Amino acid sequence: MAKVTFIEHDGLEQVVDIPTGWTLMQGAVQSGVAGIEGECGGSCACATCHCYVDEALVDSLPPPSETEEEMLGCTASERRSNSRLSCQIRVSDALDGIVVRLPETQS
Amino acid sequence: MFRFDPYSPAVDADPFPFYKTLRDDHPCFWSEEANMWVLSRYDDIVTALNDWETYSSAKGNLMDEMPNRAGNTLGTTDPPRHDRLRSIVQFAFTKKAVEGLTEPVRASANRALDAVQGEKTFDFVSDVSSKVTVDVLFGLFNLPRENERMVRDKAVLMVQSDPRTRQKGPEHLAAFQWMSEYAKELVELRKREPGDDLITALIQAEVAGEKLADREVQMTITTLIMAGIESLSGFLAMFALNLADHADARRRLAANPALIPDAIEESLRFNTSAQRFRRCLQKDVELHGQTMRAGDFVCLAYGSGNRDERRFANAHLYDIDRKPKGHLGFGGGVHACLGTAFARLAARVACEEFLKRVPEFVRVQDQLPWMPSTTFRSPTRLELAVG
Repeated sequence: MAKVTFIEHDGLEQVVDIPTGWTLMQGAVQSGVAGIEGECGGSCACATCHCYVDEALVDSLPPPSETEEEMLGCTASERRSNSRLSCQIRVSDALDGIVVRLPETQS
Repeated sequence: MFRFDPYSPAVDADPFPFYKTLRDDHPCFWSEEANMWVLSRYDDIVTALNDWETYSSAKGNLMDEMPNRAGNTLGTTDPPRHDRLRSIVQFAFTKKAVEGLTEPVRASANRALDAVQGEKTFDFVSDVSSKVTVDVLFGLFNLPRENERMVRDKAVLMVQSDPRTRQKGPEHLAAFQWMSEYAKELVELRKREPGDDLITALIQAEVAGEKLADREVQMTITTLIMAGIESLSGFLAMFALNLADHADARRRLAANPALIPDAIEESLRFNTSAQRFRRCLQKDVELHGQTMRAGDFVCLAYGSGNRDERRFANAHLYDIDRKPKGHLGFGGGVHACLGTAFARLAARVACEEFLKRVPEFVRVQDQLPWMPSTTFRSPTRLELAVG
């Protein structure tokens, strides 16, 4: 279980408890975080769960797969150095307290 | 004593009361008839979908698997091989890639609707949903335009099982065999005459420096045809059924087609055709007081998770204003449906054209004939009366 803070583009903050093994996308969608769409269901095929991960933690995550890299090229909002697809980040205790910022638009 | 038999015609016809008992009283249930565990709560299904190391697909993902299929398709391999294979196929199914299909789907829907113009009643399944899906899929894969009807019939037959013997009958296996042979011929054709299409891409693709085996190309194509034709057609039929049963929703869509995508999402949640898939446990798992053992099969009842009141308030109601994010209509996790963008687009465009031409309709049959299948659920005929 990890406490994850999602910050919408307009500044709205939501703190969500996400079970270990779930992805950030699933946790966000389950809790009604508006800025994550997750249209493809979590298979890394749509880039509508784009997020900006806490700079301090981004390097400690497993790096994006080749497919995620490709899909990150298709995001509707600007891709930054800390851009990730939240369906590809699985929650563990190590992510407790992570802050995830959401882009202006997903599609 | 409560039983859950996914082979039973009663479950084909209406699985939802069974699902409710499963969720409330037996959230981790051993079905003797299916010879597997059944998970029915939303949270448990999502947890399983996100944990492919424990809930493996490599022994097959259909409730009744077909011979020599497991291990050779996207749905029946685990990462990392799955991910490499998927990255090859996925490019053809991104939102951008399928946008070009809007007008072909529209034209196809109008051809089907032209043929029933003026009829007082028609069968939505054979006259509309099957025709449109076959037509569009043949275009998508650039398949030779012969055998269209045969391909459709076999795709529908191969996903079925026999309720008496609780396994696939000779006719279902023969249909699968026919489709495998058909795919094999397509592969040979594209090897001789490569084109700018998905089959050629699969033949030429390499995963970790190796070309795909012929069997993998063949089984992947077989699955894409099955999913593209049977699954999409089944969904369209369920969508039409919902609009027949919910006249208020239908009238709102006819008056304001911008609402159609919301109605599609709610139909995916409410009663989509893909009801149940399975996984195989790679280690012992304790859940709700039960111990599931490594090697056991587990059914993930998406259709039940989608009706879980713990996740969706008033889950038994069809509500096009719900916007049900996170529904399991396309499964989820690494194996979430490949064709989501295509299915959404095809359903939207077909619905737009259909409601323009036939804004008012009712169901003719009181009782629908349901396809006998442990995995999918849709009517084999859906007679609609116009006006």
